Amino acid sequence: MAGLATAVLLVLAGAALALGAVIVLGRAVRRTREARQARLAAPGRRVLLSLAAGDDEPENQQTLVRLEPAAWRAIEPTAVALLGKVRGESHAALVSVFEQRGMGERALDDVRGRGAMRRARAAEVLGNLGRRDAVPLLVSLLGDRDPDVRAVAARALGRIADPAAAAALLDSLAGRRPIPPQVVADAVMRMGAGTLEALTAALDHDAELVRATSVEVLGLIGAITAAARVIDTLDTDPSPEVRERAAAALGRLGTRSALAPLLAAVAPENPPGLRARAAHALGDLGAVAAAPALDALLADPQHEVAHATAHALLRLGPAGREVLEQAVATGPDPSPGRHAAARTDGLSVAAERAARYAWEALAVAEVDERRRDGAPARSEQPTAVGR
Amino acid sequence: MTAILIADDDPDIRDLIAFKLEQAGYDVIAVDNGLAALSAARETPPDLAVLDVMMPGMSGIDVCRELRGNAPTATLPIILLTARAQEGDVEVGFGAGADDYVVKPFSPRELVSRVEAVLARTRA
Repeated sequence: MAGLATAVLLVLAGAALALGAVIVLGRAVRRTREARQARLAAPGRRVLLSLAAGDDEPENQQTLVRLEPAAWRAIEPTAVALLGKVRGESHAALVSVFEQRGMGERALDDVRGRGAMRRARAAEVLGNLGRRDAVPLLVSLLGDRDPDVRAVAARALGRIADPAAAAALLDSLAGRRPIPPQVVADAVMRMGAGTLEALTAALDHDAELVRATSVEVLGLIGAITAAARVIDTLDTDPSPEVRERAAAALGRLGTRSALAPLLAAVAPENPPGLRARAAHALGDLGAVAAAPALDALLADPQHEVAHATAHALLRLGPAGREVLEQAVATGPDPSPGRHAAARTDGLSVAAERAARYAWEALAVAEVDERRRDGAPARSEQPTAVGR
Repeated sequence: MTAILIADDDPDIRDLIAFKLEQAGYDVIAVDNGLAALSAARETPPDLAVLDVMMPGMSGIDVCRELRGNAPTATLPIILLTARAQEGDVEVGFGAGADDYVVKPFSPRELVSRVEAVLARTRA
């Protein structure tokens, strides 16, 4: 038995030693490879940075075009990364190097390749090169089995910014292989006003997420000409989430025609989430005419509604601030540490509630103002307002 | 020589901006996170800071607020660099005290022009 235990221990010790040796050797190999890569990359990297920095030296482009394959491979990850991060002359110069090295054509092949990494890299390169001829291939990648490939393809389509891909991007939100909505939204936004038709058509899509994303993007791109459709969505969409995003979009669009629908949306019979978003949007609109309606919401029993209302009033300027100060002045003193004796009639409860939300909003505004004015750091406890 | 502090967790962007600014004749201090930027700026206040907004730990906007809240760095010219260009983000950046805002993808030449313009404005 002792002999068996010793043998087991010896085997385990041997295995541990072997594993340690493999780890040490692996690290040494990796360090050697990295050092070799760095040596290979060094001369080309400086030229690459110079080109990406916008230097006009024509020989920089040719130096990179003529780089030996091993040297190019050493700087290729940096080159691909920079391609997506610079614009203007810098970007044009890098595109020229990539195309002269045949990387655009290789990417068109690789995007059909077997490995997900290869397809994703190729999609990234095609997007950063702005290859419009790659749009159909990239659209097909929106249904790729690999989620990273799908996301990279969506981003690439956004970089190419061909509005013809907008409908396919929006449809992909409802597919069996979804793409994160924010990735799709960002890509469609990059395509600009040319996506208007696809976005407004998507407001009738069966899938809630497609409608919600489309109406949100319409607000973000400032599609004022679509305001009527957004109002219609606010009024009639069966999904509360879609209606909330429509309210937010109307606030961003800022058109006068949005005032009445938003005022209707804060009515008590609507869900709290919608009322809160609509209140927020009224603040974005900056319409002083909304002040009385918002005043009535300050005492709303739903926290999100009252909170959004108070901050919306701040954004209305002097008229909204007056409402807030009046609420603080006519309610019980809401300052921390001072609790008025509770009364049982509903008017006092509502007044106290309104005063608290008004006080909080005014306090936040005061802190922000001090920060903007560069006041030295001090206690964040605001002074009482309206007293 | 005029010293510029760059803070960006992306090494390619950091190297590119450092390259361009050094080429333009500036002394460059480059760091890869917000806390290091804050520490470097407090230790030896630069003449201008270029801060990436999205950094792990402390964002460029938070660094900006902290610098503005300290007397020795309260008037340090700051340019924010970000991939996000929605209206709210720009507002937040300027609200935090930034002097200018550059959106990625960016033009390195334009960034240098903005650095020069902000320096000229703040020195006037």
